[in-house]
Amino acid sequence: MELICSRYMLFSKSRGRFEAIMQLWVAKVIFMKIDFSGLESTAPLCGASSEMFDGFSTSPSFQIPDTTDFDDFQKEAIQMVKPAKGTTTLAFIFKEGVMVAADSRASMGGYISSQSVKKIIEINPYMLGTMAGGAADCQFWHRNLGIKCRLHELANKRRISVTGASKLLANILYSYRGMGLSVGTMIAGWDEKGPGLYYVDSEGGRLKGTKFSVGSGSPYAYGVLDSGYRYDMTIEEAAELARRSIYHATFRDGASGGVASVYYVGPTGWKKLSGDDVGELHYMYNPVEPTIVEQEMSEA
Amino acid sequence: MSIFEYNGSALVAMVGKNCFAIASDRRLGVQLQTVATDFQRIFKIHDKLFVGLAGLATDAQTLYQRLVFRHKLYQLREERDMKPETFASLVSAILYEKRFGPYFCQPVIAGLGDEDKPFICTMDSIGAKELAKDFVVAGTASESLYGACESMFKPDMEPEELFETISQALLSSVDRDCLSGWGGHVYVV
Repeated sequence: MELICSRYMLFSKSRGRFEAIMQLWVAKVIFMKIDFSGLESTAPLCGASSEMFDGFSTSPSFQIPDTTDFDDFQKEAIQMVKPAKGTTTLAFIFKEGVMVAADSRASMGGYISSQSVKKIIEINPYMLGTMAGGAADCQFWHRNLGIKCRLHELANKRRISVTGASKLLANILYSYRGMGLSVGTMIAGWDEKGPGLYYVDSEGGRLKGTKFSVGSGSPYAYGVLDSGYRYDMTIEEAAELARRSIYHATFRDGASGGVASVYYVGPTGWKKLSGDDVGELHYMYNPVEPTIVEQEMSEA
Repeated sequence: MSIFEYNGSALVAMVGKNCFAIASDRRLGVQLQTVATDFQRIFKIHDKLFVGLAGLATDAQTLYQRLVFRHKLYQLREERDMKPETFASLVSAILYEKRFGPYFCQPVIAGLGDEDKPFICTMDSIGAKELAKDFVVAGTASESLYGACESMFKPDMEPEELFETISQALLSSVDRDCLSGWGGHVYVV
């Protein structure tokens, strides 16, 4: 928009002001018309709460926002949400099933808004989703996914597979692509084919894999996870590896901290294994002898 | 994040009965990544004068070196230590010299003046002095620190109680800040 404005400003000096303003107005209208048509064909139902249950099979109705600056308001919206994904979550498949772990810190820029956020979301008794990115986005869409999975179960008389569930979520997120949703989630579960793990994000990506870590602390977690990983670990060894990886990520990353929770997904469903404060884990992994400094204090 | 939040810091100084306490966190980071957990932010100028420097770590270290240099010159010329009020004016002048290309630091000065009267003050990055009679704060956790100090502070505390108060205020505030933490250094004089 700004480029066109400046071009037409130059025009105004040579062609006269009135004509320039007309052309500017025309350009604005054309621009807006093109944008409108593109959005109408791909947009799904926006998550307005009153229409949530009706809107699954009806045709989409998308309300165009009422702003003067239609082209740039989305950029502002994305900047406001700021998808910094300040967190550490990880999940990996091993011989006995899937191990899922996450920290529990929520940060807004530099401020810690909470140290006790549940970042592992229980979609249904045999599937878990992790939260990274916008908390509201992740919570809402995971719950929505849980509803869809239950509807699938009732309609088809069998549980949905992890592949299917992750595909459902990925398709929803793809249709909202570019609108400022911030979701970096892993869907972990146990279905008829055994353990399943998928990474799904708000850009519309969906990856099948055996080891993932998402969030600002993920590089640190990957380091520990990659060096300690073996396929044939016992449940306790895998839990300890997951806990250590989260602890090391919270040590180095300022946006991760709080409590390291570890969940295990097996043939009978998921089970929470532990939730340890990372401060206590620090002193457990690095025991400290009491130093002599305290004695100096009382002498002085 | 702004340049003041690049390294992350938390500083607080409090006044007690014929004593003062100055405390800082120990984390040095590069934005969100923690690089060190034993970084020193409080420096001794002489036995009864301490200065803490919050903000960009490189400017803090450079500014500290300049201040030590100026104080040593003063000691050679005047054959005595600088009073805290004089030192505060010196820091303010040095910071204002760089008005249009400032040091990205917020100093906190704490000292004992004549007859062991405690003196504390803080400044913004271009040298605006803020004298206070109870406590001063600086750094990325400063808003939390204001709240914590306001509620925990009592006038005329003895050194042991002052130590407890300032430590609690510091620890509870840095628990709410991603960019500072990992323990604290506390000096009580």
